[in-house]
Amino acid sequence: MIKPRRLENAILAGPLVLFLLAVLGFPMILSLIYGFSDTSFQTLSAPRFSGLENFRDVTTDADFWQAAGFSLRFGLLTAALECVFGLALAVYLAPLIQRHGWIVAVLIVPMIVAPAMMGLMYRLVLHEFAGPLPYYLYHWLGWSPSFLGPRNVFATVVAAETLQWTPFAFLLFLTAYQSIPQDMREAASVDGTRPWRLFWKIELPMMMPTVFVAMFIRFIDGFRVFDNVYTLVGAGPGGSTTSMSIYIYETFLRKGEIGKAMAAAILLFVSAFVLLSLAQRMLNRADR
Amino acid sequence: MSYMTLLRGGVAGLALLAAASVAQAEVTVLGWPGGPEETALRAVTDIYNAKPDLAAENKVDLLFTSRDGFFDKLQVDLAAGSTAFDVNLIATYSIGKYAPFMEPITLSDEAGRVFGDTVLKTMQFDGQQYGVPTDLSLHFLYFRKDLTDALMADDAAKAKYAEISEKHLGKKMEPKAPEDWMWEDFVANALYFTQSINPDSPTRYGTVIQAKNLLFNMMVFHSWPRSYGANWTDDAGNITVDSEAFRTALKMAKMLFELGATPPDSTSYEYAEANAAYSSGQVAAMVQWNAAAADLTKAQAATVSTAPPAGPDGKFTHIHGLGLGLNKAAKNKEGATAFLTWLSTEEAALAYARAGGAPGLAGETVAKLAAERPDLVQVGDYASNYGFVMNGATSQNALSVYEAQAKEFTGYWAGTQDLDTAMKNIAASMTELLK
Amino acid sequence: MKRRMGLRWLVFGVAAFVMNFPVLATVVTAFKSPGEVTRNASLWVEAPTLDNFALVLTISDRLNIYHYLYNSLAAALIGAVLPMIVAFPIAWAMVRRGLFRQVLFPLVVNLRALPLIIFAIPLYLMYAAVGLLDTRLGLGLLLAVVNLPLTLMLLVNAIAEIPAELEEAARMDGARLGTLLIRLVLPLCRPALITTFVFGFITAWNEFLFGLMLTTRDAVPMTVGASFFFATSGGGVQWGVAAAVMVVAALPPLILGLIMYRRISGSMVAGAVKG
Repeated sequence: MIKPRRLENAILAGPLVLFLLAVLGFPMILSLIYGFSDTSFQTLSAPRFSGLENFRDVTTDADFWQAAGFSLRFGLLTAALECVFGLALAVYLAPLIQRHGWIVAVLIVPMIVAPAMMGLMYRLVLHEFAGPLPYYLYHWLGWSPSFLGPRNVFATVVAAETLQWTPFAFLLFLTAYQSIPQDMREAASVDGTRPWRLFWKIELPMMMPTVFVAMFIRFIDGFRVFDNVYTLVGAGPGGSTTSMSIYIYETFLRKGEIGKAMAAAILLFVSAFVLLSLAQRMLNRADR
Repeated sequence: MSYMTLLRGGVAGLALLAAASVAQAEVTVLGWPGGPEETALRAVTDIYNAKPDLAAENKVDLLFTSRDGFFDKLQVDLAAGSTAFDVNLIATYSIGKYAPFMEPITLSDEAGRVFGDTVLKTMQFDGQQYGVPTDLSLHFLYFRKDLTDALMADDAAKAKYAEISEKHLGKKMEPKAPEDWMWEDFVANALYFTQSINPDSPTRYGTVIQAKNLLFNMMVFHSWPRSYGANWTDDAGNITVDSEAFRTALKMAKMLFELGATPPDSTSYEYAEANAAYSSGQVAAMVQWNAAAADLTKAQAATVSTAPPAGPDGKFTHIHGLGLGLNKAAKNKEGATAFLTWLSTEEAALAYARAGGAPGLAGETVAKLAAERPDLVQVGDYASNYGFVMNGATSQNALSVYEAQAKEFTGYWAGTQDLDTAMKNIAASMTELLK
Repeated sequence: MKRRMGLRWLVFGVAAFVMNFPVLATVVTAFKSPGEVTRNASLWVEAPTLDNFALVLTISDRLNIYHYLYNSLAAALIGAVLPMIVAFPIAWAMVRRGLFRQVLFPLVVNLRALPLIIFAIPLYLMYAAVGLLDTRLGLGLLLAVVNLPLTLMLLVNAIAEIPAELEEAARMDGARLGTLLIRLVLPLCRPALITTFVFGFITAWNEFLFGLMLTTRDAVPMTVGASFFFATSGGGVQWGVAAAVMVVAALPPLILGLIMYRRISGSMVAGAVKG
């Protein structure tokens, strides 16, 4: 019967929909309005409708594209690195973990610390005069690299993010690896398959869905990075470490160009939506 | 937008309800957290609250939030008409931005005598007084007297100094007392005290230029171009940032980056890192906020502070003030105004200074503190003699101008763009922002 | 075999050390006196002191770490549990009936990509109007929104793993929907629920920006409260105290994570794979 089902569905979907509407409904509408208006902090209650002007401002803003480029490069690079390291660690350390489970606990500590705090910790660690890393490098190798100088700063923030979030990928891959049926492995070793081949031909393909998911989540998180980059280097010399989130934040709060910030956020949301739908479709195809 | 009016009405209604139900209203003051400003504010508040003729509902309650993101939060709070505080902190460079949400105030009769005109101006916008100036910020040149004395007494060292200055600045120079420095002497000194240029240098770096992409770092830099005659606009309002004066100062600073006279990471340094570098003893001299005096002298006892070096146009230091002003949406305007008026009296100013604050006080007043706070005499002196505010630095978009400059100029110093590109960008930004 | 294990231990040691280096450095710094911080940058503390911790743990005029910890706890609990309650029913409906799957699911999951700070002003106004400003509940509601995407994703995947036959069998026995969900599906999702809770709690605990914007005094969370300890005279960062407060601030989620890590690994794969 249709009617009870419809009522049921309404009750099932109700909580989520109502919750979202209640908390985000008004803000979303207002943000959309601001996105198409000329607003500043002084004119919050009287935005002047300006059509697509904000979108034009955003898309012609070199800083926007610089931020987009940064976020893309950053997201891709950190996701790739985290997945490679995470996978390597999970697979290689799996036998060890089987006997000593506490190893996992030690390795996931970095991702539990607040990213904002992590950024501050790195600021201390890399400080030329108060930080241990430059101290030891200088004393043992006579080498005083400038971690946060313009040439190295991108590598440094990538490294900081990677080191903090590799545990996330590691955890995902570890469980995927551990859930591969043991009989598969036994069958392979009976056949005399060497471990490397076992990995490449059997285990990795079975873990592919997890690889995609891990890459995807880490890419999104890397793309929208804010906390640890901002607390570590701020917007960067010449704006070189401005991510999309930092760009939106600064446009919104520092420059007070509210409409422009909203437009940028709308663009961001739409592109992420499209990307996710595409990835979803690819994943569904890969699953079969 | 009627929706907004509805909301505002709602907020006002709630506020009225809240006010009616509360037995004692108070004056809530939002101050600058975590520094001597906080300690001093607490001290004067205690004095004020102890006054016998003060009504209970006008007692002052202090509120301190986070230093990180303080101004961002303040912006959101003020724009949304927050009633969480009656009085809030303002700064010279942001009065223009917050003025629409604040109300001008009248100071006490003594205020002119106590603070002097230059200092009172730091709290003015559009001809109106928006706040009481509680703390004055300007820059000192901090240097290691032991190092400069040793240099001036040693002939072999002087010869080396001349050699280095000839190589990089084109003329043989002699070390001078830092009080008499021109910016060229500053550069020459920095080059001499850099180990990578002069292996005999007792310090690793001659100076440290805080060059993080941060608006405050531009304020530190500005005395340099200003002493060559630079300004943001001329009197007619034309943008004059792309000038010989600005370029000269920028290029001289760039030289220090290129030759390694400032730590390579200094493009990510702000106040804390620069001070840590100087405190470690590996830096010979630097220009820094006056607030650092106590910390730096504690870390390096041989530190002396003086005014920044001079240029062809004279000796200058950027000044700005922190102060307290009246929130337009304040619940207890009467009580708040009473407190602010009292703050501008001599009694309050002296108490504030004695408790650790750093107000800019006029000669007569500050003389009363000469024994306890000699550094304030220095601050007052420099403020009136060398203090300057760039044209347009109190306008509504002043903060954005500083930010745009920070982005372009630190980009130039860090090597991500050349000077012409930086100048083109900043001139365009400033034209847009200051029109 | 022994040698291979030895090599594995080495790899573990290096990985653990490198990834945890900042945490180690911070812990070490927390035991250094202010003078030593600028003097001695190495990892070996010459004159360890508990002063920094003492300062952090004492309640003073302005700084009350227990207040911030309590606020964080309350807000994070709301922020972790509420999304679970709200998302569970519809997660089931999405899997079994494809309800709203095509549009609502991507929409919610995508919220993860959005810097929610853009909603700061409208949220502020809204909260001010209903009196949620500077309250733990208000902050908790927003943290719930932040955690919603991952919660929904993990729950959808966990439910998808449950064989439909189990539910059909229960139906045949005459179970009604409500009973089915609560008595059968929910317990089977326990691993995913635990994972979601732990991740949600950690994420909620670590939120800074909204903690700053939406609270002033009564509901200040630990992330914002931590920065109160940072500044000293003139605004320089006193690294010893800052380090001590970072250590204390990180303890609750750390303890939670370390207790629950076994459970996390148990369900993450189920949660993540189906996407």
